[in-house]
Amino acid sequence: MSLPLRHWLARRLDRVALPPELAERLAAWRALPAADLALPFEQERYVVIDVESTGLDMRRDRLIAIGAVAVHHGRIHLADSFEIVLRQSEVSGKDNILVHGIGGERQREGFEPGEALLRFLGYLGSSPLVAFHVAFDATMIRRACKTFLGFDFHPPWLDLAYVMPSLLPELARSHRALDHWTRHFGIGNYARHNALADALATAQLFLTALPLAQAHGLQCYRDLLGQEKAQRWLGASI
Amino acid sequence: MPIDAALIAATVDHLSRHAPFDRMAQTHLAWLAERLKIGYYGKGEAVLAPDQGAAQTFYIIKQGIVRGEREGEAAWLELHEGECFPIGALLSRRAAISHFRAETDVFCYELPAADFHSLLDLSPPFHAFCTLRLADLLAQSQRQTQARYLSASTEQQSLESRLGGLIRRAPITCSPETPLRRTLEIMREQGIGSIVVTQADAQPLGIFTVRDLIGRVILPNAPLDTPIQALMSPQPLGLPPSAHAFEAALAMARHGFRHVLVVDGNRLVGVISEKDLFSLQRIGVTQISSAIRSANELGQLQQAAQDIRQLGHNMLAQGVGAEQLTLLLSTLNDLLTQRVIELECADAGLDRLCWLAFGSEGRLEQTLATDQDNGIIFEVRAGEDPETVRAECLSLAERINRALDACGFPLCRGQIMAMNPKWCLSLAEWKVLFARWIDAGDPEALLNASIFFDFRPLYGQTPLADQLRQWLCAKAAATPRFLHQMVANALRNRPPLGLVRDFVTESGGDHADTLDLKLNGAMPFVDAARVFALATGSAATGTAQRLRQAGLKLNLPKAEIEAWIAAFFFIQLLRLRRQHEENESGQALDNRINPDRLNELDRRILKEAFRQARKIQARLALDYQA
Repeated sequence: MSLPLRHWLARRLDRVALPPELAERLAAWRALPAADLALPFEQERYVVIDVESTGLDMRRDRLIAIGAVAVHHGRIHLADSFEIVLRQSEVSGKDNILVHGIGGERQREGFEPGEALLRFLGYLGSSPLVAFHVAFDATMIRRACKTFLGFDFHPPWLDLAYVMPSLLPELARSHRALDHWTRHFGIGNYARHNALADALATAQLFLTALPLAQAHGLQCYRDLLGQEKAQRWLGASI
Repeated sequence: MPIDAALIAATVDHLSRHAPFDRMAQTHLAWLAERLKIGYYGKGEAVLAPDQGAAQTFYIIKQGIVRGEREGEAAWLELHEGECFPIGALLSRRAAISHFRAETDVFCYELPAADFHSLLDLSPPFHAFCTLRLADLLAQSQRQTQARYLSASTEQQSLESRLGGLIRRAPITCSPETPLRRTLEIMREQGIGSIVVTQADAQPLGIFTVRDLIGRVILPNAPLDTPIQALMSPQPLGLPPSAHAFEAALAMARHGFRHVLVVDGNRLVGVISEKDLFSLQRIGVTQISSAIRSANELGQLQQAAQDIRQLGHNMLAQGVGAEQLTLLLSTLNDLLTQRVIELECADAGLDRLCWLAFGSEGRLEQTLATDQDNGIIFEVRAGEDPETVRAECLSLAERINRALDACGFPLCRGQIMAMNPKWCLSLAEWKVLFARWIDAGDPEALLNASIFFDFRPLYGQTPLADQLRQWLCAKAAATPRFLHQMVANALRNRPPLGLVRDFVTESGGDHADTLDLKLNGAMPFVDAARVFALATGSAATGTAQRLRQAGLKLNLPKAEIEAWIAAFFFIQLLRLRRQHEENESGQALDNRINPDRLNELDRRILKEAFRQARKIQARLALDYQA
């Protein structure tokens, strides 16, 4: 089935088939007031996420799992964390399973994708999102929301892959991957390529960014978005 | 708020790799993990400071190094992954005393103070850890030592020994072509009952024993030029050095042999005889002491001295504490020395002299590696020339010193022995000498004081020693300047805490990365206890006894005193264990350890012990520094 066709079908199904209970929860989430991106770091709740998918092809591969860790008042709250596996109609390949460790059984026993995504939205609330290499995580989640919930998911996203080099320019050339940065700060990872463990490592990286940002005179999420944008321009010009 | 089990489980898993979390119930750990936050502190950032008021947060280091230091103190403390702070401040709901700073990028698990107190109520192991700390860690370490050596009774223990550790001498061998006559000559020269026939590469081919003489040589009338390979028992029984003594005993019982070869690969490394195995079981405190008492010649005492050391190793392996063990070793060594003196002086008059022990023996704190530190006080009667009496004592002393040397107490390299005329003195002469040291207070006098002022009478006229002790206590207490000098001297030896990572170790040379447990670990306690004893007129010479007695007189909190004593004995235990290991692997015994090779628990206790050493020094400085 071609991709546009599948999307079209999904939209049709959504219009017809999103059960009222889910539709209601989606509507409630969409009615939440937007986050105030100008709040100082100490006052806002941020959600740091990482996803696992069937592969690295952003157009074809499917979302398997979301891991998320919340940062409030500059602290990671272990209890305010979230992980969910989306049920897969077809189990991903063996090579892929070896990467994220979510086996065929867990993939089949995962939550119904619409339910899984709504639970994620419920956990997220209106908190601004943070990730490393946002393009991938954002695309995966947006496409899943489109397919299974029939709406465009466009929350605020902050990309540490651009924010970190902008705060530590002397490391920009040698530090590109998440692993480079976590190693620099001595951040451990109890299970690399597990969505939740990677989200925790990314959240710890985010904690290191906050005092650096303040040292640069940046006070809020919006300031960091500006920093990210500038770095993208800079990155493009290199 | 949703609680994701996976992250909690991962955190529980991480925590349970460290004490005290490793002994807490899973449910309590989960309870803890659900309440934890993770905070970040950039390198150099303050985590906690005294001016922040009553401690609000319990910190567990997730990763990185936190450095704690107290205002006005040069030494500091490094805390690593899994360590917690500020326990004292939280328990007493006060501000932290130390400044805690991130030495590297640091992530801490953080628990609100209220939850910390709930957890104390909830989890007994956590409560024990926070309130007892040192004592708790020590008990844990003790259990680990015991677990390492499975032991039920002394007898079983000794038969659990590895054969490699039982080899007493290099094996005596001969080649297969050696004629019978030469073989028997070798056996007679070496005083052995069996000889191993080996190839040039030390591979054993056979064994020939005295028992074989009757059946294979005398009755068949074998000529003396017969090559030994024609007479030996071929294919002797061999066991690896890692085999247990009981395996050798079993093999002997099964095959009726009296010897088992210890073979490493194909190479002969030793011979274990039936006698070697039985001697293991003879070793017990009562057996040794009665053997010493009934000994009539030096040879028996040499055997007893060897048994004392073996007993020390066995008891250490069974997890006997350092206090009991050093006391026991010293007591048995005392007994042995007394018997040596009795035997050597059978014909000489002992009614006028007192044999003194100095140093560790004087303090009843001997370890497994110890040399002689002794002297004599003699009485000069009216009309006698002290020089004549001294000459008599010296000849006696020389025999005693040499006999002790033969029993494995090497002559003192510093010549602190009764046979040295400098340390064979009349009571009046000792007083003059001690008075000179006390009044001079120069470095040499202070060094001497640290050895000689721990004197203890071992044999003979103990009232002489008691008089000297009484006089010394009065003189020292009346000379505060001398106490100040002793303190200044003692404080120059700082516990090796801080600087590079956890410990100050030697960098480079033969002793790279090691620290001296005797000099840097035990000495601060020993020196402090001596000053306390001299200052308070206590006649005790043992460090623990001195601290307890002085503690009463100085009104020091009992818990503080006991923490010092526990720390001191933990360091002594590490010294003993180290010596035990060196003995097992055939190395020379010393007091050096590499802290990196300790397990995490022992490393933490050692750190805590060094902190106690710092505390006792601080107390000393406060009370006696001019």
